[in-house]
Amino acid sequence: MATTSVLLPGEQIPPSDLPPTKKGTLTLGPNLRHLPPSTILTTTSGSLHTDPKKAALWIDAPHGRYQPSVGDLVVAQIHHGSTDTYHCALTPHTAYALLGQLAFEGANKKTRPKLESGDLVYARVKTASKWEDVEIECFNSSTGKADGLGPLKGGMVFNISPAFARRLMMGTDKEGRSKGGVVVLEEVGEKVKFEVAVGRNGRVWVDSGNVAATLVVGRLLMGCDEKGWSVEEQRREIETCLRPMF
Amino acid sequence: MPLDSSSYSLAQFSTQAAADGSSYLEMGQTKIICTVNGPQESKRGGGSRDQSNAARIETDISIAGFSGVDRKRHGRGDKRTQEMQHTVSSAFSSTLFTHLFPHSTIAIAIHVLSQDGSLLAACLNAATLALVDAGVPMSDYVVACTTGSTASYASNDEEADPLLDLNGLEEQELPFLTVGTSGGEDKVNVLIMETRVQMGRLEAMISVGLDGCKQIRGILDDIVREHGKKALNSRVN
Amino acid sequence: MPSEPAPSTNEREFILAALRENTRLDGRALDAYRPISLTFGNDYGTADVRLGKTRVLAKISCEVATPYPDRKFDGIFTITTELSPLASPAFEVGRQDTPELLLSRLLEKTIRRSGALDTESLCLVAGQKCFHLRATLHVLDADGNLVDASCLALIAALLHFRRPDIEVHGEDVTVFDPREREPVCLTIQHRPFCVSFSYYHAGEVMVQDATLLEEQCREGEVVVSMNRFGEVAQVAKYGGPPVDGLSVLGCMSAALERVKGFDKMVTEKLKEDEKRRDAGGLMAELSAENERPVEGGDRVML
Repeated sequence: MATTSVLLPGEQIPPSDLPPTKKGTLTLGPNLRHLPPSTILTTTSGSLHTDPKKAALWIDAPHGRYQPSVGDLVVAQIHHGSTDTYHCALTPHTAYALLGQLAFEGANKKTRPKLESGDLVYARVKTASKWEDVEIECFNSSTGKADGLGPLKGGMVFNISPAFARRLMMGTDKEGRSKGGVVVLEEVGEKVKFEVAVGRNGRVWVDSGNVAATLVVGRLLMGCDEKGWSVEEQRREIETCLRPMF
Repeated sequence: MPLDSSSYSLAQFSTQAAADGSSYLEMGQTKIICTVNGPQESKRGGGSRDQSNAARIETDISIAGFSGVDRKRHGRGDKRTQEMQHTVSSAFSSTLFTHLFPHSTIAIAIHVLSQDGSLLAACLNAATLALVDAGVPMSDYVVACTTGSTASYASNDEEADPLLDLNGLEEQELPFLTVGTSGGEDKVNVLIMETRVQMGRLEAMISVGLDGCKQIRGILDDIVREHGKKALNSRVN
Repeated sequence: MPSEPAPSTNEREFILAALRENTRLDGRALDAYRPISLTFGNDYGTADVRLGKTRVLAKISCEVATPYPDRKFDGIFTITTELSPLASPAFEVGRQDTPELLLSRLLEKTIRRSGALDTESLCLVAGQKCFHLRATLHVLDADGNLVDASCLALIAALLHFRRPDIEVHGEDVTVFDPREREPVCLTIQHRPFCVSFSYYHAGEVMVQDATLLEEQCREGEVVVSMNRFGEVAQVAKYGGPPVDGLSVLGCMSAALERVKGFDKMVTEKLKEDEKRRDAGGLMAELSAENERPVEGGDRVML
């Protein structure tokens, strides 16, 4: 399903590697640039992945800073608030993203959530352009529902690379296997009860009610990210970590 | 050695009318003037800098050139002075109720007129008095004193009692430490030692130091209450 | 943003809750250090210490200079610390703020003030010429506990360094190039190491070797410097919430154990490095001494 080859920045994708398209349009994922009429160049180093079903291709770069793009789900940390907006940090040492104080489900001038400096929220990127500050929101502006977005209380947040976050969010394919090749969350979830929110900006919030379980989940995620375990290795590590708990 | 309360009889309150709080303290020949201004609006820190929701404590220590035996000009950027400033600021950060004054600054200015040992301890005690005079809410006094060990000079190890409240000459010769307490008799707030000493001696030095701090606390407390009584009486009439 | 971003409330509360159960984020014991690695460079006097993700590099160099007028019989020994943006975007070049100030003061007190290096041995001609020994510390990666790593690197580098050999005739000093005469070790009187303790929950929980996140959530710290004989070179508790006197004393004994471990590690690594340099027994060849007959008989006096 996915073919991979490692490329350097500025290389042109040969037409033979491009997935077949029905309508003649290709979807370009991150780190690819299109020069009309038919040249596709890479912008960073990484492995090339293609998805014939969606006629999409992208470069998977294992490191790098997160660049906000519209529609991403992120875990943001409130830095301070001004009159109508909260200033949140998506990644350390970058400009703040703006979160409107009314951008929550069922919020109006009289009732709005009071967030302090240091609180975490799960939000979606509303607008992200080079020239303006990034804007995020905690509800679906078209439906007005929260859809799981909003403040995150308790638990612990762990730092992972943005590429690993992408793999975590890929979801499962028809057979129920994780497309990103990460089974940690599913397998641990069978034995331990926990809540998780994956932010594309490289932060994962986990809450399991008690310190030990939360730490196990977090450590497994960070280990899988840093050491690049395969599915088998992941299952083995999960076994070793969960054994002392039961 | 019990502290002589006459060394402290020259602790005065409200020496500077212009400052919110001020004090003058003598510990032996070490003479310190301290003024406190605040809590007041921070001069800088506007914009989007989110200072934590507590007042900031800024300490400034200036040591006069005529304070020591030889005339020596102390620059402001001197690392030793900066370290002392940091120590004073953090010593009070845990006792002052800074959460009552978000986005403000409490400025402590210390001027050393004459130094003859126990400099840091005298600075902390003078600052405590000045803060009390300024009316800054606090949970307890911060009191400090110095202890030194004569073990290397004593003929018999067991009989070598630690010294309390060292002067300049003693500080040059003996290993000594400055200990500051607040919030209870055995609670160490500040502990600074810069000289080499055997580990075993430390316990005795620290416990004598804590005892000395208790005595100083009593003396400072008496001074504060006396001043308070005077102020009340003058107001009533 | 000039300062390190503050941890979120969730992280802070989680770390404090975990510490109440004596658990740390990376599963270490409260008094366990991260894996330490100490490597020496090819030049004498370069030491690279890695403590988990924290990395510092110490370099020693020396040149001939004039001694201070009030210290005619002593050489000059200065320690410079550089916290560059390499280590963290929170550090800026040339800015001297509190972390840098405290690090350099702690190193000064531990190494310079305690007399670890015998400055009198650096004197060449009293009042006129002496060695100026410069120790520079570069922080390459900051993930907490810079003090311990820096002190370890500096002491290791000082022990590793070789200064040029000299000959003094009256007031003339000949400094030999390392190629002419083998350089000489420094005179190190004792080896002090720093051990930092971060405390939480009003001093009830004492943690050694805190990571950056743990440091940001702590209430205060106590830094103890001592050598393996139990001589305490300095103690620093710069304020912060008060701690029981007994806990402070408990730190001392824990620090002694840790310091003995450091000392052993440094000695081992130095020996390894010597062996590596001495491959083939060249040291024996370079020695200026002549061989003496092993058996009894006439001893040749040279």
